[in-house]
Amino acid sequence: MPIKIAGESLNACSGCEISILDMGERLLTLLEFATIVHLPLLMDSKHCDRKNNPQTVKLPKADVGLISGNIKTKENLELAQAMRDSCDFIIAFGTCATHGGIPALANSYQSDDLLGHCFNTVGTDKADSLPSDAVPGLMDVCYALDEHIRVDVCLPGCPPHPDHIFRALQSIEKKESFSLPEKSVCDNCPASRDGKGQVKTLKRALELPQWRVFDDTKEGFKCFLEQGFLCMGPVTRDGCGGDTDQARCIMAQVPCRGCYGPVKKEGNQRLAMLNALASNDIDISSLPETLSMLRFSGGHGLLRPLPRIKESE
Amino acid sequence: MPPRFEPVIIGFLCNWCSYTGADLAGVARLQYPPNLRPIRVMCTGMVHPDLVMEAFSQGADGVMIMGCHPGECHYLEGNTKAVVRAEVISIILRDIGVDPCRFELKWISSAEGSVFAELITDFTMRMQKLGPHKVNP
Repeated sequence: MPIKIAGESLNACSGCEISILDMGERLLTLLEFATIVHLPLLMDSKHCDRKNNPQTVKLPKADVGLISGNIKTKENLELAQAMRDSCDFIIAFGTCATHGGIPALANSYQSDDLLGHCFNTVGTDKADSLPSDAVPGLMDVCYALDEHIRVDVCLPGCPPHPDHIFRALQSIEKKESFSLPEKSVCDNCPASRDGKGQVKTLKRALELPQWRVFDDTKEGFKCFLEQGFLCMGPVTRDGCGGDTDQARCIMAQVPCRGCYGPVKKEGNQRLAMLNALASNDIDISSLPETLSMLRFSGGHGLLRPLPRIKESE
Repeated sequence: MPPRFEPVIIGFLCNWCSYTGADLAGVARLQYPPNLRPIRVMCTGMVHPDLVMEAFSQGADGVMIMGCHPGECHYLEGNTKAVVRAEVISIILRDIGVDPCRFELKWISSAEGSVFAELITDFTMRMQKLGPHKVNP
């Protein structure tokens, strides 16, 4: 009896679903032990009866529910709760679902400002009112999935690597436990590190990092941080290269941006990165801004609009 | 009259100066409020900001880190690490909606039992004035 997989996308970009297709030939193996019963982004299925009853969410029963995206509208919340009810097992699929992801950058602004920016830009006529009919209401902030519903497995990644998706689904089918390595990108980074170095300020990404800075006696390239470029590797979970490859951005000669979220689920990438920079004598006030260190993990109340509190005294 | 608010204050005290200083305050029978929960650490430089954040998320009303005076660190420059880490902590606290006044980094040598008692009294009174810290407001 194949396991049933249902999938739903909330506030998402569909990249995670594409990553399912990216499994290659393993997709055929997957379809031997699993059937996809509902996945609007990949097949023709809707979460409601559009013709007769468009207001009620109706989802097929499934063993595994893959939910990508975070919760930003009331509709997202309703769908997430409906998925929880109709699936035995919920996988938070992708960094948006596990930590808030890119859309959670909106958490650094008040909802009014966001709406104002979208509907009343400088070049447009002033809108009389904001749309209220037929569009779902906005939540106060962007929530990660586990802030509202119980989540059984977290599969971070922007998008999650096909290796991990396949392994997760396979282990559910075989009723085995599933875990991802809790290591940082640095643990698996091919760069060679010399030690703390003399870097005092970080460079802007306006110049290119050097790829081969060593002579022939020493292979590889020098750590981006030691070259003075901000690389989120130390505070980011490893896995973007899958089970066999090394970190994708690093191999493309680009510093890590932190897409797999914090190394430990409840970590704060910005805090950890600032701490790492500061304890290595790098002047953190030389950074133009640091909020973007949370560009993939702004959920869970880590990113908030400024100014938030009145400082005493 | 409602009962007075008793703040929970977590203190990270370095083994070589501040913890000994606190010990001296006790031996000298100095009076100070019992709100501090001291945690002995080997050096203030080892107090990761995560620990301070965890204290706040678990409901502490105030957190103090206390170590040797600058230049007197047992490990030579552990407390200079603590200074830069404290800056990071203050930035993040402000951004997650915690009043940065609830966190303090102070120097106490092993001979300054009275200074320790004064600091704790002062900090506790300020936390009482500020009121309880609400986790995730």
